[in-house]
Amino acid sequence: MRRIGGALFVIAGTVTLVFLILHWLPGDPAALVAGDTATAETIANIRAQLGTDRPLWSQYVAYIAGLLHGDLGTSFATREPVLGRLWAQVPTTMVLTLFSSAVALAAGVALGVVAAVHRDKWQDRTIQFVLLFLTSLPSFFLGILLILVFSVTLRWLPAIGNGSWRQLVLPVVCLGLITSGRLMRMVRSGVLDVLEEPFVMTLRGKGLRERQVLFTHVLRNALIPVVTVLGVLVGELLSGTVVVETLFARQGIGRMLVDALNVKDIPVVQGAVLLASIFFVLINMMVDLSYGWIDRRVRS
Amino acid sequence: MPTRRGFAGMLVAAGLATPAARAQQQQPKLGGELQFGLDGAAVVTFVLDPHNSGFAPHNRVFRSIFDSLVVLRPDQSVGPWLATSWEISPEQRSYTFRLRTDVTFHDGSKFDAAAVKANLDRIHDPHNALVALPDIGPYAGATVLAPDTVRIDLSESFTPLLRNLSKTTLGIVSPTALQRYGNAIGQNPVGTGPFRFVSLTQGIEIRLARNELYAWTPPTATHAGPAYLDSVVFRNVPEESTRVAALQSRQVHAADGIPPQNIVSLRADPAFRVLQKELLNNNYTLYLNAARAPWTDPDIRKAVQQSLDIVALVKVIYLGTAPRAWAPLSPSLFASDEKALTNVWKPDPKQAAAVLDAKGWTTGPDGIRVKDGKRLTINFPDTQGNREKRLDVMQLARRQLARNGIELSIESQTAGAYNQKLASNDFDLSGASQFAPDPDVLRRLHLPDGRPETSVSKVDDAEISAWLRQATREPDGETRAELYHRVQRKLVEQAYAFPIYVLLYTIGTTDTVQGLTVDTHGFPEFHGAWLSA
Repeated sequence: MRRIGGALFVIAGTVTLVFLILHWLPGDPAALVAGDTATAETIANIRAQLGTDRPLWSQYVAYIAGLLHGDLGTSFATREPVLGRLWAQVPTTMVLTLFSSAVALAAGVALGVVAAVHRDKWQDRTIQFVLLFLTSLPSFFLGILLILVFSVTLRWLPAIGNGSWRQLVLPVVCLGLITSGRLMRMVRSGVLDVLEEPFVMTLRGKGLRERQVLFTHVLRNALIPVVTVLGVLVGELLSGTVVVETLFARQGIGRMLVDALNVKDIPVVQGAVLLASIFFVLINMMVDLSYGWIDRRVRS
Repeated sequence: MPTRRGFAGMLVAAGLATPAARAQQQQPKLGGELQFGLDGAAVVTFVLDPHNSGFAPHNRVFRSIFDSLVVLRPDQSVGPWLATSWEISPEQRSYTFRLRTDVTFHDGSKFDAAAVKANLDRIHDPHNALVALPDIGPYAGATVLAPDTVRIDLSESFTPLLRNLSKTTLGIVSPTALQRYGNAIGQNPVGTGPFRFVSLTQGIEIRLARNELYAWTPPTATHAGPAYLDSVVFRNVPEESTRVAALQSRQVHAADGIPPQNIVSLRADPAFRVLQKELLNNNYTLYLNAARAPWTDPDIRKAVQQSLDIVALVKVIYLGTAPRAWAPLSPSLFASDEKALTNVWKPDPKQAAAVLDAKGWTTGPDGIRVKDGKRLTINFPDTQGNREKRLDVMQLARRQLARNGIELSIESQTAGAYNQKLASNDFDLSGASQFAPDPDVLRRLHLPDGRPETSVSKVDDAEISAWLRQATREPDGETRAELYHRVQRKLVEQAYAFPIYVLLYTIGTTDTVQGLTVDTHGFPEFHGAWLSA
């Protein structure tokens, strides 16, 4: 219960903060809607249509009242209800984020374990070097590299769009690989730490096979800190979609957010941020709850 | 036939139409879906209301959905389209149009004089706050004289009207649809064009399908009757390298906004073709803020001008794919002064330095000139990013200016912050281009009471204003052209404006795309396009 209260507080705070920041940002949304060639009179008319000529507190009250009724407002730019537009973007962004987390997690854990087991040998060095390289690349650069290799040269996978699984591969690999580097390092040092614990020696002494030691006992303990950062990681991935969705010309919340921010389409930005914060809070609650499942000590 | 060949020849860059392609062009194939990768970096949302968008990428889509009363011919003269003929009263205050009687909108309603009136009245209504409002100038009203005859009355003479009527922004929208959707027409566009609107995924793609009834092609069309393609899909691919990759991997049949380095490589590749055509526009031009010190002083403005080597800038950045601009108006646009202004000034950094020294701007400790404790800094706010390599141009310009002790500070802003800076006169240099079929675009930029407060130009020059006002009333012809020549010459000579490059609108296509053309304005036409495989 306290957790839910805290989550609601975080979301309400985010909504208010975003509202204030957006309105304090310089720039008149009406002028942006009107375009390059509009006259002052045109802009004033649009301002009245959008309601941005009203005092800030009255806009805020109207917005919160709308939210409580499940109304996220109307886009300044397209005059469509925000909820509908946002909802249409949810599936593609969710699929992208979830698959990318899966790739990041799988690559991070697998490579982290391999690196730890072969500590300071060539396998370890290679993995560390390659992932350091990938992690330090900006996502748009890695994305362009992937497109050049797999779309233009090899023609294996499409470069743009969303809909089929083939269009998902490159963005997922791009986003997943970039995030996997940090996970790999956490897993590697976690596994190394646990391997030095006395109980591991005991297990080995009892004649357990190395494989069993590693996967049933060491990994379970080494993964606890990884689960902790998982919540943060999902946040990182969500913000990563901003770049990746634009680069691969995909539909999604990230791309919508950038576009809306650029023209100060306040209702859309607020809606997207609200949705992202709800998702982020939910994931972190799930992470909190999952500790108990992984680490029995937390449950008691 | 000669017209057709002449027209097509103008559009397809020389040497690109192979004999095989030309043979194939004889028997167009019906059907197929053309996927077009649209450079929508500057576009945030698709609002397919032709009366309400000044963004070129939107207008590239409008041309397929909406027709205009008149068409702009390659020689800049105006030809018939939905209007078959017209008469202009001697003092040019009323225009009477005879209309085609066989035209229907995509929703089945009939195009007639009442439809024209409804469109113009809609644009004129200030409550609608539409972007096309300045295009109709001093519009006073329209009268339906007969179902096929409409008279447009103006409160004062306004010569640009006829050419403006060829613009996509004055495309004719179905009045039935307007009534039904109101200003949400942008999500439900209904016109009379060769393609009808099917669906829109906001910011992502637009689907159009062939208008089977289409029989009212303009005289510039490559064939009569409906389009060949079943459908056209515009896919917004904002990232230029992705857009080119989508073309090279044949995920799209064509893509526009091809960056210079890729134009060169696509040309070298027999599997691809490049279509290039000048966009009729006020060229991308830099404007020193003449309403803010020290740029109020023409000598200082000229010193900045002479510190710039624009020929070198354009050559290095555009690799020969875009010519350097000398005049504000693009070379093919009626009344462009490109010929007379070519080579009219030369970079002269030494002379510029001498002027700045004499004016008291002496070189400070870090190489930047200082006067009374104030640095000689040019603040350049930008919101469009590296669109058409414009920021690359500015980075090079920054180095050229720094050599002469002038600091150029490039500030990337959101569109909102950018507009605020322009409106509050809080900038030193601005840059913009504006597509236009008529030199009247100069009035919208440089006449203080004819431009929005967010205008990039703050020029307030009595002579220029007088010429611009007179040119608006002058009947089309040599006198009018001469007035605009004077305006352009003064803009350059007084260093109010530094034209940079002439935009050649560029489409890259796979070798399977035939018959794709670009109209006189510089917007793509899919009516004659077909896919050979």
